[in-house]
Amino acid sequence: MLFREFSAICQQIEVIRGRLEIIDLISQRLPALSDEELPVFVRFIMGRIFPDWSPEKLMIGPNLLYEGVAYVVGTKKETVIETINRTGDIGKAVELLLAEKEQTSFFSEELELVTVYHEFEKIADTGGKKSQREKLLVVRKLLANASPLEGRYLARIMLEDLRIGVGEGSIREAVARAFLIDSGIVEHAVQALNDLGYVAQLAKTGEAALRDVHISPFHPVKMMLAQQGSIMSAIAENGTIAAEYKYDGSRFQFHRQGGQSKLYSRKLEDVTNALPDVLAILNESTTTDIILDGEVIAMKEGKPLPFQAVLRRFRRKHGISKMQEEVQLFPNVFDILYLNGETLIDLPLMERRKRLETAVSGHIAPQLVSNDPAVVEAFYHRALDAGHEGIMIKAPESPYTPGMRGKNWIKIKPEVDTLDLAVVGAEWGEGKRAHYFGSFLLACQKNGELITLSKVATGFSDEQLAEAYDLLHDRIITKAGKEVRFEPGLIFEVGYSELQVSSNYPGGFALRFPRFIRIRDDKDITEIETLDSIRERYMRQPNS
Amino acid sequence: MLKATIDADILKESIDAISALVTECRLHTDENGISTRAVDTANVAMISLLLKKEAFSSFAATRSELGIDIAKMKNIFGMMAKNDMITLELTDDIHKLQVSFQGYKYSITLLDENTIRKDPNPPTIELPGKVAIPGAELNSAIKAAAVVSDKIALGIDAAKQIFFMAAEGDTDHIRREFGKDEVSFINGVEAKSLFSLDYMKDMGKVMSRAEEVEIHLGIDHPAKFSFNIAGGNGHVEYLLAPRIEAD
Repeated sequence: MLFREFSAICQQIEVIRGRLEIIDLISQRLPALSDEELPVFVRFIMGRIFPDWSPEKLMIGPNLLYEGVAYVVGTKKETVIETINRTGDIGKAVELLLAEKEQTSFFSEELELVTVYHEFEKIADTGGKKSQREKLLVVRKLLANASPLEGRYLARIMLEDLRIGVGEGSIREAVARAFLIDSGIVEHAVQALNDLGYVAQLAKTGEAALRDVHISPFHPVKMMLAQQGSIMSAIAENGTIAAEYKYDGSRFQFHRQGGQSKLYSRKLEDVTNALPDVLAILNESTTTDIILDGEVIAMKEGKPLPFQAVLRRFRRKHGISKMQEEVQLFPNVFDILYLNGETLIDLPLMERRKRLETAVSGHIAPQLVSNDPAVVEAFYHRALDAGHEGIMIKAPESPYTPGMRGKNWIKIKPEVDTLDLAVVGAEWGEGKRAHYFGSFLLACQKNGELITLSKVATGFSDEQLAEAYDLLHDRIITKAGKEVRFEPGLIFEVGYSELQVSSNYPGGFALRFPRFIRIRDDKDITEIETLDSIRERYMRQPNS
Repeated sequence: MLKATIDADILKESIDAISALVTECRLHTDENGISTRAVDTANVAMISLLLKKEAFSSFAATRSELGIDIAKMKNIFGMMAKNDMITLELTDDIHKLQVSFQGYKYSITLLDENTIRKDPNPPTIELPGKVAIPGAELNSAIKAAAVVSDKIALGIDAAKQIFFMAAEGDTDHIRREFGKDEVSFINGVEAKSLFSLDYMKDMGKVMSRAEEVEIHLGIDHPAKFSFNIAGGNGHVEYLLAPRIEAD
């Protein structure tokens, strides 16, 4: 498939509103794709480049892209930025600039879908001092051969945000329909393999291949997630439940095979090098080929430290040994997904727990099994007294469903009104904070689109403002006066006193007294609050 | 097979000419010398370079193709002194090029030539306007233009028999005219095209060393810059695609 054809499909999808129509359109295109094209097509159409399990990242910042565009078009970087400001979208801006470009060329080669992917692989491979230049060369080469419409989607894919409103669920349906396979089987395969592209390739060979999928070490799977609930209703539903402390730390996945081991964060980044102490503890606790799920916490004198201390360690790239002395981390293991070649995610929780207890010595999170609400309630209070966040209640017969948030895992913690929101813009601070951002524009999501909801300017320490600046200044897309816009990616947890109906923001709601709680860079942009859940919160408020 | 000895300055001159446009290239060798043809990543500028065996103090080669990392070669020049004699030798392991000078022996891993773009075919175009100008003059005018704009016009006013280089900025403009006393008009027909100074600046630096650069022009057509290197034992041709302004 030519990238030109892929772009035409994207353009078609972009104007369709109905989800079923989109699924239909995509499913019709899948069967004709070659084995090499199929996974690339499936990932590209979701605005992704590499498999979800892969630590490979393109790491093309907006600025590098602007430079490449300027070069190919024969204009200044400022003109590119101006055009983006005017069109409000990098894709449309590149399309416009390519259509108007003055610079002619001797020839252009038709871009193949697969060639584009191979060029991206090249970029991801380059590291070190020369990498920026090598990346720029590839960006130029792709854009030099792109038609204006191709430019629209190339630019968006390079920033891994295709903005055509196709979610993973739609693609899963399309794969199921294209190859006549039950969508539940497709979903299960995606959970285990964590790459819808590869799943599509397997689906093409038939249902048997999809039924027989296994987890592999060093291909991390998404973490199973919990939803809010109550002790009473969880016991009412399940009879007996398993309860564990809910640690105020950071999730990890530990993979070990043939003496080699790695740690992955909640976002499945490879954090092995940042956490040598945690790795050593886990390597001492088990000697087999294994995949474990757990939470890392920071401890000082027997008491857990706030979550922020843990995150700082996860992010660390330099001075790791110094940080190690300052913040001591300990793993708490609570699940096992794989053991010596066997995929365990479909086993019931209690069966997995047995395997966990035989395969791992120490650092297993204590578990209480009970059907008595009073006993569980006491366990909950013990957790809070010990400085933990609350408890997790799990259904004993439930499988491990990667990436799913469901009623098999329930989190019980004191009610707090906080929202996880994406930072999409900011204003420069004043006075002694003039070199940092002072106020931030935040957004929730609706059908994959970001909808601004609030600004937050209070609750920051000077140190936190400096930290926010460090994490955000490379994400600036546009500047206008004191305001900047960011390529979305960073998430703030924000507290508020009340949700209000408001016409100031496009979502129709605003936060009363918003205050910054903490940076959540363990979370992915797809995990921010949805407009629907905010509406539900609003309905639950006493006076609404 | 390749075994050749060459003056450091000549080798540097040749590599600089290539590095103005690309970071890697396929180098062809045969019994008569070495040559390369390459196009920049945006397909806007091409180079074709020939270094005859006479440019070397000794030269023996058979027909082969080498993938050269130009950026890496440039780094090595930092170690060389003017007038050093450099020996290039392609050993039995054909993926390594041995570069020796001053008692140093560098073994450079060659790039897999299949990963480098194939030699581009130069387009067949008629460029009737032809002038010849000292390289230093050409480079000065390019540098002057870069002060006010990012593009430069090159042209021939046939009626006045003038070759001109001009740049229009947002507020300022600059124009340099050359008469018969400064350039030789090989074919003084009307011509004018616009070029990106991004490219012209890099090429200008290389051309500034040439005694004479022959420029071939048309109207809204590419330009060809043709000049000798290695004291006449080598030759470079740059071809640059024009910028065409929307009406």
